Amino acid sequence: MKLNRPAAWLLIALILAAGVVTAMPGASYSHQDRESTLAGASTQHPAGTDALGRDRLVRVSAALLLSLAGALAASIVTTAAAAGVGTLAAFGPSSFGWTAMLVCDAFLALPWLFLLMMIRSALPLTTSPASSAAITFLVLAALGWPACARAVYRGTLSLKDSEWLLYARAEGLRRGQIVRSVIPNLIPLLVPQFLICVPAFVIAEANLGALGLGIGEPLPSWGGMLLELDNSAMLIETGWVYFPVALLVVILLLLEAATVEA
Amino acid sequence: MRLFPVFSICGTALLAASLANTCTSQSAPRMPGELAWTIAYDPKTFDPAKVDDQESERVRYLTAGVLLRFNRSTQKVEPRLAESWSLSQDGKTIVFKLRAGLQFSDGSSLTSRDAVWSIRRVLLPATGAPAAEEFVTPAGVTVETPDATTVVVRLPQRVVGIGKVFDEIAIEPAERPSEGRVTSGPFVVADYRRSQYVRLRPNSHFAGRDAAGNPLPYASGVRLDVLENAEQKVRLFERGEYDLIDNIPPDYFELLKRRSPSSVQDLGPSLNTEQIWFNQAPGAPIPAWEKSWFESRAFRVAVSQAIHRADLARIAYQGHATPAYSFISPANGEWYNRQISAPHTDVAAAKAGLASAGFHLNGAVLEDSAGHPVKFSILTNASNAARLKMATLIQQDLAALGMQVNVVPLDFPALIERLMHTQDYEACLLGLENVDPDPNAMMNIWLSNSPNHQWNPSEKTPATEWEAEIDREMNRQATSLKESERKQAADRVQQIVADQQPFIYLVYPNVLFALSPRLKGVEPAVLEPALVWNVESLRIEGSR
Repeated sequence: MKLNRPAAWLLIALILAAGVVTAMPGASYSHQDRESTLAGASTQHPAGTDALGRDRLVRVSAALLLSLAGALAASIVTTAAAAGVGTLAAFGPSSFGWTAMLVCDAFLALPWLFLLMMIRSALPLTTSPASSAAITFLVLAALGWPACARAVYRGTLSLKDSEWLLYARAEGLRRGQIVRSVIPNLIPLLVPQFLICVPAFVIAEANLGALGLGIGEPLPSWGGMLLELDNSAMLIETGWVYFPVALLVVILLLLEAATVEA
Repeated sequence: MRLFPVFSICGTALLAASLANTCTSQSAPRMPGELAWTIAYDPKTFDPAKVDDQESERVRYLTAGVLLRFNRSTQKVEPRLAESWSLSQDGKTIVFKLRAGLQFSDGSSLTSRDAVWSIRRVLLPATGAPAAEEFVTPAGVTVETPDATTVVVRLPQRVVGIGKVFDEIAIEPAERPSEGRVTSGPFVVADYRRSQYVRLRPNSHFAGRDAAGNPLPYASGVRLDVLENAEQKVRLFERGEYDLIDNIPPDYFELLKRRSPSSVQDLGPSLNTEQIWFNQAPGAPIPAWEKSWFESRAFRVAVSQAIHRADLARIAYQGHATPAYSFISPANGEWYNRQISAPHTDVAAAKAGLASAGFHLNGAVLEDSAGHPVKFSILTNASNAARLKMATLIQQDLAALGMQVNVVPLDFPALIERLMHTQDYEACLLGLENVDPDPNAMMNIWLSNSPNHQWNPSEKTPATEWEAEIDREMNRQATSLKESERKQAADRVQQIVADQQPFIYLVYPNVLFALSPRLKGVEPAVLEPALVWNVESLRIEGSR
């Protein structure tokens, strides 16, 4: 497992650029320049403005940082939960492993989209945009672990049968000590799981946002910006409405390329 | 490598949503000479007495034969199935003389017996007809038929604009209600496919004639497709599938204007309003301190002064709306109060008003006298792009006062649930459609005991002195015999509302529509159904 160098560097460069854009003095993702709405590129707004006169470049940059940060955090939670459940299930009594995997399967079979919609609409109205973003990613994390846990369980089971572990047991290591030495060996399995989660969560958030269930206004989100494309009247005003979706595709491709197994 | 469930589930959902957007409507092929346009949802009923929603009302308008019709263009009541009608001096007795030789669409004759049966059916509590409420005391109304062409209606008390009430009462065959299948109006319901279309065929026994004595209606039928998506409507209109689009959203209006400028028209301000209001219901499950803000006149006035209405009209409606300060639109020349003094945009005055009411700034955050930060949410319906934009603009306008506002788009049923049942909301941004220019039609909004008195529904006694005064003035306009006194009362209500701002009016959306150049005979009116009020005289060019 290696990082694909050029893609990774390009991704890092994009993130840095987004950071610089959002940190520039005077840059605000929510400020409405009401005199120039749906404008094209200008020196003041390099990527034009949206229907409410907000700078599209700043909004896209902020959405990029927000969704990547959220997706990374959610992936960490998911992978950690999966590692915990997977190893416990593998090293616990076989009936426990069996039950845990049954729960995972049941989890996978649930109609998650509707559940997600229910959770989002049940949030109190005063939930601030920032906490709605945090909750969205937390819910995604809570949703992503079972598939990952299954992979970890299988990987751990095969480790359990490996020769070095047999030696370890024969030399009298206790179960706790064995688990502790197994976890580092799971890293080649956990890292790709973690890396797959990141783009999955980015796009899941975009999908939720496009359904109007993601991050609240005025915080920018991919989904909210993709919603603009639903309106052909908007598309003929300025070509810059395609900018967010183009960048999202680039980000997803880079994430994918950067994590391709060598 | 396995895809994640989130990925695949959401991906499928998005794909399904976009497919639904791109595939064309499930419309049936169009017959020659048939008119076609869209309705937003399935009519809830075809029974003309039970009509309570807008789309059912449209179907009723196209199919029902009525004694009197309220002409949407001249705004005068005209006899239809009645040859003549008269109202007694005291306003309590109405006498209709039916036209001779009337027939229902099935060829059976229409007599005063059918008219009496239809009116009585509307009055019966068991029918639950919304039109009955307009008689004020439906239980006391008597309907008699001295002979086969005369109908006499006696009211226990005078009712303002009683003629218009008969515009909503369809005359059906006695003892044979047919849900629009047998009518005395220009069209008859021929076919209905749930969530696809309603098809109407012309009534060959319709009594209407044009000036040259030719039978009406001209069109060989009407097809109403059930379709809400504006994107699809515009696309199908451009392909010639639809003859008209009414209430077209401003962005699509601009799109069509760019492509074919002659197909669209802006009639200027409509009778409708868009407004925001704060929840003042005492039983609402919101903190007590929030209720005290919302009950404070200074707070509401400050919010009103902070809102840049011109920006709302220009940005959210692309200029196709007019800033609003009253519930009566300037389009309603007869009733609009030109002398009204209402709070206009003035951020400095808003800040001063809040300061004198005990609010203060803590850093950038406005706090009340007890130190609670002023933070609330505005609900609006997610499907209305203009409202969502207005709410986001208002969010920034109010941020200038230090108020933190959350914009919460909800789907319509969830919104209504909160407004009407749980009352679990702080502020709401919605519109009100006015079908009747007479302020008497808004009694249900302004009377404090009405369930539609949105900011504080169904009050047992008026909560404030000014609400009591609105009650008195509304009752005065409803019962006064002199038109000048009615106007005076309506003017006073407009001024009280402007002073107290229970509803903070934002804009009057303009009447926007698109018409196919092939459709002839259209005389657009401000009142609903604005484009098809004279449906019997509409025709597709080149077909007779």
